[in-house]
Amino acid sequence: MAMETLFAVILPAAFGGALLVYLAGKVSGALRNLLAVLFAAAPVVLVALLHGQDVRLGYYALPFLQAELALRVDALAWFFAITVSAIDLLAVVFSLRYMQGKRGLDFYYSCMLLVNAGMLGIVFSADLISLFVCWEIMSWATYLLISYKGGKAVAAGLKYMIMSTAGSCAMLLAVASLYATCGTFDIAALGQQLSGMSPGYRLFILLMFVLAFGIKNAIVPVHVWLPDAHSEAVSPFSAVLSGVLVRMGVYGLLLVLFVMMRWASVLRLSISWPVDFHYILAWVGAITIVVPTCIALLQDDAKRLLAWHGIGQGGYMVLGIAFGTSMGIAGGVFHTLNHATYIALLFMVVGAVEYRTGGVRNLNELGGLAKRMPVSFVGGLIGISGLIGLPLTNGFVSKWLIYKTLIGEGHPFLAFAALIGTWLTILSVFKLLHNIFLGQVPQKYAGVREVPLSMQLPVAVLSLTILALGVFPGLALRPIAAVQSSLGVPAIKTTLFGVPRELGELNTINILAGVALSLAAVYGLFALGKRARRADQFDSYGAGSYVPTDRYQYSAKFYQRAYEFIGPYVRDRADDFYAWFVGKAEGLFEEVRKIYTGNVNTYAAYIVIFLTLLILLKMGGQL
Amino acid sequence: MMVKRIALILALPVVGFLVAVLFMGLSRKITARIQRRYGPPLYQPIIDVVKLLTQKENISHGVLFDFGILLGLAGALVTIAFIPAGGIHPLSTSGDFLVVLYLMLLSPLGLALAAGASENPNASIGVSRKLTLALGYEVPFLLAALAVMTRFGTTSLVEIVSAQQSSMLGWGAAALPLSALATFLVLPAMLGIRPFDFATAPQEIASGPLVELGGKYLAFAAIQGALHTYIVLSLFVDLFLGGGANILTFLAKVLAVFFVGTCINAVLPRVSVAQALRYLWKWPTLLALAGLAIAAVMRG
Repeated sequence: MAMETLFAVILPAAFGGALLVYLAGKVSGALRNLLAVLFAAAPVVLVALLHGQDVRLGYYALPFLQAELALRVDALAWFFAITVSAIDLLAVVFSLRYMQGKRGLDFYYSCMLLVNAGMLGIVFSADLISLFVCWEIMSWATYLLISYKGGKAVAAGLKYMIMSTAGSCAMLLAVASLYATCGTFDIAALGQQLSGMSPGYRLFILLMFVLAFGIKNAIVPVHVWLPDAHSEAVSPFSAVLSGVLVRMGVYGLLLVLFVMMRWASVLRLSISWPVDFHYILAWVGAITIVVPTCIALLQDDAKRLLAWHGIGQGGYMVLGIAFGTSMGIAGGVFHTLNHATYIALLFMVVGAVEYRTGGVRNLNELGGLAKRMPVSFVGGLIGISGLIGLPLTNGFVSKWLIYKTLIGEGHPFLAFAALIGTWLTILSVFKLLHNIFLGQVPQKYAGVREVPLSMQLPVAVLSLTILALGVFPGLALRPIAAVQSSLGVPAIKTTLFGVPRELGELNTINILAGVALSLAAVYGLFALGKRARRADQFDSYGAGSYVPTDRYQYSAKFYQRAYEFIGPYVRDRADDFYAWFVGKAEGLFEEVRKIYTGNVNTYAAYIVIFLTLLILLKMGGQL
Repeated sequence: MMVKRIALILALPVVGFLVAVLFMGLSRKITARIQRRYGPPLYQPIIDVVKLLTQKENISHGVLFDFGILLGLAGALVTIAFIPAGGIHPLSTSGDFLVVLYLMLLSPLGLALAAGASENPNASIGVSRKLTLALGYEVPFLLAALAVMTRFGTTSLVEIVSAQQSSMLGWGAAALPLSALATFLVLPAMLGIRPFDFATAPQEIASGPLVELGGKYLAFAAIQGALHTYIVLSLFVDLFLGGGANILTFLAKVLAVFFVGTCINAVLPRVSVAQALRYLWKWPTLLALAGLAIAAVMRG
């Protein structure tokens, strides 16, 4: 009973918090900030207390549809809920100083909490109506937050909204159709009924949901909204957007593929071998990895670069779950969590740099900030290590599980797409780190200091999480095994340090021991040598020709030769199509707009013509 | 048992280190003979490294600079411990080929961090060239590596090696000739030797990432470079030349490949980054793609 009360409190607290924070802002800024942090922290605590619980709560009976609306928490919902609420809390804490002094903060914090509440609502929904309503609340609040800065951000927000609405329409169509055929909105009940339906109908339902969730998860080719939205949003929200909000798509895919459709029946949706739903889904995932990661390599805007990686990493998750094996799903779900940690971290680090340099995120204008902002630098280093998937970071374990699945299932070309994506990632994220933090510091940034403590704190927490889950992957893999049980697939066997011997060779503690011992041995030798004298950045060897101060940005066009080879092939065709479509649509609407002449006489004429038509129709009907 | 295992784990990096130092001397000797010089004695690199380690003055560009150099060497050492060397594979149950592929990133990352922290444009340019080159050779190499993993149906290096033990016809090079050839064609790029040594070109960019290194720093980087050679060659031997029944046959094969590489290094001129990419993404990649396709079809 206690647990039910606890569960019942979460969503009212989350939604109520959004309203309260807005009202508190009218009283005092400090109170608003305090309440924002409290109401962001409350769901984290409440969700954490629900660990391991299985609660279902009917909250409203729709009188006209004979349908009960309900919330539920199981391992799947819990896993996503804790990730969502934790990332949102960190983003709110980061916002305190980052957003200080900006306009419309009541609105901002209120929307941040509303987005959080919407996401929690999505993962806790036990029926499609609640899911759809929360999905819309989240989508609209996101639109408001993307457009928050005005100017270019409004265009980015609109682009997002158009695509998001298209996805929502697809979902609504599927929901309505399901109610018409099955007579229920309950997701679990639908799971039983759908398996009896015809394959064509199931494919239709599946495609509608995959479209809706795919747009949110930004899989190629419906990804075009994401790069603009991520780079134009304020950094703490970019962290939430790329870290967890976009990944509601992964949650949705899991829900549809495994709970609503049952994996066995998804597998039967094949016509003949290559035309096979899960096989096509896997290839979509592979393309989603390679093309966006190539495009990321060409970016000079720090946030745009990360945004493209956000798309690319989504491809790994899709690849992982597309085969429905316990190892693959574990990899895909674990990668969702890992991505949330390192991409949120990286957006915060870039945000910290923006904060101190006056909004600079052009990689060709920065440099040498590592000594000025050591905490942000270490955060950035750990973040890119996670994104690359270096051993001892969490990204490594999830990618390892995904590679292993692809090789084990006999799809080496898919595995190649995943692996080469990683090597492309190395290039682009090293550029990110190098051009911001390494090399010579330009004169104008000589006075830059580390960001305030409240901005360092989320960076530190996320960095430690990445390392902790990298060394003790079992901490996350055990809840993921529970998620798998709740999805009805065999749970992966795990140990604290990886997977047991029968599944493969991975033991992170031995890797850690190896790295630590080697470092210690090397350091011992290093310490024996003579202590070094510190040299200034201009006290360097230039073979007789010294670097002119502040006149030479040698990190610009970092991989020029690679750009020349890759550049011509990786235009974002989907975005070209979108721009073309928008251009045509605007032309059409421009024509339609001419109906509204602004002249009362014309409108009166329209009314007369319309009435005449009606009368004619009526007479026609009687004849 | 435990003691023996720990001894083996420690022995591998030591063996790697000794072989690597031998390589450094040998390569200078072979190159000299090809160019009709007498060349320095085999132990010359040891003298050089000891000299560098005991130099009176060392120059550092900060904590990150030091850390990068340490990570570079430590990364190479830990990678060696995971690569089976002729029947010695103490850590093989802790990490497979995929783990080794990733561990191989640690030491370039360390060197790249040190290069970035050294605040010298030549160092950064060298790193950007090195990373571009890496992207170039990783495409064919990963294709070939996947062909091996697909052909032998495992990601474990030990199992890959033991599957090749029957005879020379069981070697990876015989089972997957195209992949082996592709990997051999990109070996000079992976080793960073001529014709693909533009990342550390002494005359153009003052040795690139190494430009600010002196004294013990240069000694560490030199050892790391030698260990890197050992790592790449021993992987090649494990994947395509049957590993080795014992450590001696294994090292003999490593040495043989090294000899061929040194000869190529001695006679070819340096190419540019664009030329390298054009080469690497053409023949080696096509061969590796064909090799992977064949491996996939044979398995499927």
